[in-house]
Amino acid sequence: MGIPNTYNTEQELVLALKRRDNQAFSILYDNYAGALYSIIKQIITDNAELAGDVLQEVFINIYRKIDTYDQTKGRLFTWMLNIARNASIDTLRSKSYQNSQKNQELPDNVYKGTANQSIQLNVDNIGLKKVLEKLKPEHRVLVELAYFKGFTHEEIADMMSIPLGTVKTRIRNALLQLREYLQ
Amino acid sequence: MNIKEYIESGIIEAYVLGLANQAERAEFEQLCTQYPELVAARREFEEGLEKHASEQAMQPPSGVKVKVLEAIVDATQGAPEPVSSNPPKIITMENEKKGSSGLLRFVAAASVILLVGLAWFTYQSYKQNKDLESRNAVLNEKLNSTQKTLDAIVDETSVLKNPNTTVVNMVGTKVAPKSSANVYWDSTNNNVFLVVKNMPQLPSDKQYQLWALIDGKPTDLGVFDSKSDKVILKMKDTRKAQAFAITIEKQGGSPTPNLDSMQSLGKTLQSQ
Repeated sequence: MGIPNTYNTEQELVLALKRRDNQAFSILYDNYAGALYSIIKQIITDNAELAGDVLQEVFINIYRKIDTYDQTKGRLFTWMLNIARNASIDTLRSKSYQNSQKNQELPDNVYKGTANQSIQLNVDNIGLKKVLEKLKPEHRVLVELAYFKGFTHEEIADMMSIPLGTVKTRIRNALLQLREYLQ
Repeated sequence: MNIKEYIESGIIEAYVLGLANQAERAEFEQLCTQYPELVAARREFEEGLEKHASEQAMQPPSGVKVKVLEAIVDATQGAPEPVSSNPPKIITMENEKKGSSGLLRFVAAASVILLVGLAWFTYQSYKQNKDLESRNAVLNEKLNSTQKTLDAIVDETSVLKNPNTTVVNMVGTKVAPKSSANVYWDSTNNNVFLVVKNMPQLPSDKQYQLWALIDGKPTDLGVFDSKSDKVILKMKDTRKAQAFAITIEKQGGSPTPNLDSMQSLGKTLQSQ
């Protein structure tokens, strides 16, 4: 990801943001909104309007919480990506979203069955999900559930009827593969 | 700890993607302070992730940026003002005894209201009194005036009722056919009264003059105007008269009548 034209380093951009420089914030939006929107859309797959609302909420939260961003713990994008992911999952789990989905047929058997089965998730071939396509199916579903649905390892173990240790190992392995693809 | 093994364990990816639990995160952050190679590996994954994500970027809905910037501007403007280092000095007027202060305030407030009310009431009464007084004076004035007028009328009309009074009907001459007046002549006391019925308006330098014709010789009985606020005019007395005549003379009257302008003439019984 390119560093904004008017800021030579990410650090300069962060300092401007912490000064509540609205111009810096505008540049931040121009540079990262598309990438973050892509992640949001991969989690909230069926409602573009809602995804737009989440994007708005995410940027307002970035503005409000910029003081809590600690550069020693990671890059700015990583921090923003996690805000976007958490906001999306929160929306996905919110009561109003659940209610809006009530009348839609959800494949309840998605998370059932064994890991060996080829489970067809509604994966759009975009973003990180495209990378997931390259993973083994038993790995892919775990990353999908963990990352895009926000389930904990314990919840996934329970859901999939596999031992917690297996979940952890497979996710780790999947993530390592992911790293290979991202390099 | 074998840091190489740790780096290869998948913890970096879990940490960066937010999939590590709290204990794992704390350990990772702690180790990052000790192992630069761990930080470098984390950075490498982060940059790969960021590069990939930006490659997969999607056009966000068009209105979002405007809404975000508006919300930010609102937040900037809505931010609480820093507390002034010189707060305004506010001197509170508090009574030492809190309990009685409330009652005292109430009594004070009630007193003020009562005083204002009383003043208003007094002023209103005074005003009303003044008003009535002045109206009373006006009415008194009118009553006096009316009484005087009435007395005068009663006085005057007594002449008309007097059986000794001779009524002389003055008729218009050829010069002034419409002129008409009555002369009331009390033969017992020689009083002469005139009632103007219809006498034309004269120029302001002229007046009517009443004459008594005694043995063919006119005697002045006084002047009068065409209009008067009196019903009955008291003229000069005369003991004798064969006729009464009215002429138009200069203001104030003439010693001898201008007979050409004689307006009306009335003969008495003495003329027969």
